[in-house]
Amino acid sequence: MGNVNDFKFLSERGFQGLVKGLLKELKVYGTIVKDGFPAFGEISAPEELVLSSTPTHLSAKEFFFPQREVLLKFNIKTAAFSPVIESVDQAIIGMHPCDIRALSLMDRVFAAGTPDPNYLSRRSKTLIIGSDCMPDDYCFCKSLGNSEAESGFDIFLHALGKGFLVRTGSDKGRAALLKYAKLRAPSTKEFREFQGLCLKRDSSFKAKVDAPPAELPSIYAKSDESKVWQKIGAICTGCGSCNNVCPTCYCFDVKDEVKASLAEGERVRNWDGCTLEDFAKVAGGHNFRKTRAERLRHRFNRKFRYLSSTFDSLFCVGCGRCSRACLVKINIVEVTNELVSECHNK
Amino acid sequence: METPYQPIAGTVERSIRVSEKERLFSVIPSDPTLLKYRPGQFYMVGLPGYGEAPISITSGPGEALIELCVRAVGNLTNALHSLRKGDKIWLRGPFGRGFDLEELEGKDLVFVAGGIGIVPMRSLLKAVLGRREKFGRLTLIYGSRSPDELLFSEEMDGWRAAGMDVKLTVDRAEPLWKGNVGVVTTLIPKVEVAQKNTVGVIIGPPVMYRFVILSLNAKGLGPEDIFVSLERRMKCGLGKCGHCQINSLYICQCGPVFRMSELKGMVEAI
Repeated sequence: MGNVNDFKFLSERGFQGLVKGLLKELKVYGTIVKDGFPAFGEISAPEELVLSSTPTHLSAKEFFFPQREVLLKFNIKTAAFSPVIESVDQAIIGMHPCDIRALSLMDRVFAAGTPDPNYLSRRSKTLIIGSDCMPDDYCFCKSLGNSEAESGFDIFLHALGKGFLVRTGSDKGRAALLKYAKLRAPSTKEFREFQGLCLKRDSSFKAKVDAPPAELPSIYAKSDESKVWQKIGAICTGCGSCNNVCPTCYCFDVKDEVKASLAEGERVRNWDGCTLEDFAKVAGGHNFRKTRAERLRHRFNRKFRYLSSTFDSLFCVGCGRCSRACLVKINIVEVTNELVSECHNK
Repeated sequence: METPYQPIAGTVERSIRVSEKERLFSVIPSDPTLLKYRPGQFYMVGLPGYGEAPISITSGPGEALIELCVRAVGNLTNALHSLRKGDKIWLRGPFGRGFDLEELEGKDLVFVAGGIGIVPMRSLLKAVLGRREKFGRLTLIYGSRSPDELLFSEEMDGWRAAGMDVKLTVDRAEPLWKGNVGVVTTLIPKVEVAQKNTVGVIIGPPVMYRFVILSLNAKGLGPEDIFVSLERRMKCGLGKCGHCQINSLYICQCGPVFRMSELKGMVEAI
């Protein structure tokens, strides 16, 4: 929750001034309501924002790693390839602590080994403004230790009944506030209100993982032969929704698209999903993960085990998006808790 | 700004049909640093409009040209088959860690290749035969579906002359075939193996690995004594796209060559 000295107070009007100021300089995206659901979208006025919502359907990864992006343009006749690295100055308003945690993991993935210039260029031009949220039945970030963002944002907003408590997380955030917002120290009453809201939010979580996060990689390591994989594999439709909505799923396909002129084209990167049937299939037809059970086991292990040895972190942030989106109600918390209980009963 | 997706042009110097489905290309890369590779490494090979695919290197390290042997199985590989002398081909790489020859020095080596597994194996064989005196007894067991599909058969007398026992087998014999008939594992019991000083190297279709490993185990070779090269789908070569992942390993970066002991406990590896 922090110390009162870590916070400043920003009025409603001050917040509107900040957003209006940013709109003059950048493309601004934020949490809005689209077709009745919370979603990230481009805004043109501060009134369009809906902060403190339940999680958005899609995560914010599309602003750094778009669903489709051009990596190279080529000319077939002159046989020349030229790189495409497109990015614009942008602000994302309303990222929740889980989204911010996910973004910090994606930052490490795309910077590791051979850095990805497309991702890193977009990331460096982005101002992150986090905001508090309200958990729904699927949110379980608290049990993974991600319910509060300590870093990874430029500005963080804690909405009160009227106005906001504000934290700054970077020089970039500090500069934006200095330029467009008038801040003052919060009153004791305002800080108490904030503390009350934090407690209310903390006690609103319904879903939780039944083991400490640090134990989950070893629990998954003992569960390769669990019957759970067959059970969920039997109902999975292989639609890939869980991959698409996940804020830390970053697998992609690369393919060429030729223009109608047949002279030019683009090498394009698209989101791909390890739960899709062809994901591990090689030319000649052999599929290294033939069954849905194997593909789900792979996906769950990527979130809780496989990447933890490389990046020293779970890759599930507890946003609950995969469970919320699943057509057949496969629930990541229930699956994990079944593995936890199998391990404890062994 | 530079992108790791930028391919480097190469020029096809030779394009030879070597079997019904395979063609052997010799390529001069426009950037000579691409010639610095180890046996077992691969390039992402592409053509504008057709995308890229991982293709094993079949030439030996230090050669002046890159040799790639390509089986026509999809859009890209069929398009590659239309390339002739002077045509452009696009490469990124070399990727992966390949074979470390120093680890194999002083050992008897048993190479087991199935189908187009001989393509990357040939790079290793050339490297080993180029420094023949550094190694003990050398045996190649190579199997294909039919005698027609045996690749590089015109080179085998040279390999034998250089001091390697070459044993061939086919799944389906034809009237003129005088050699062994049966899968590669039928030849393994006939190989004399000095326990504790023999290393096995396996490259072949996915179905082959478990059987060959069991046969080598029966000869006294353990997980420390067996190397495999694993095929997987790959889209980037940079350890990011996720297609080649086995547990925490990205095959394009950590492999494709592994000592079996490195794959312990990985249910999907073989």
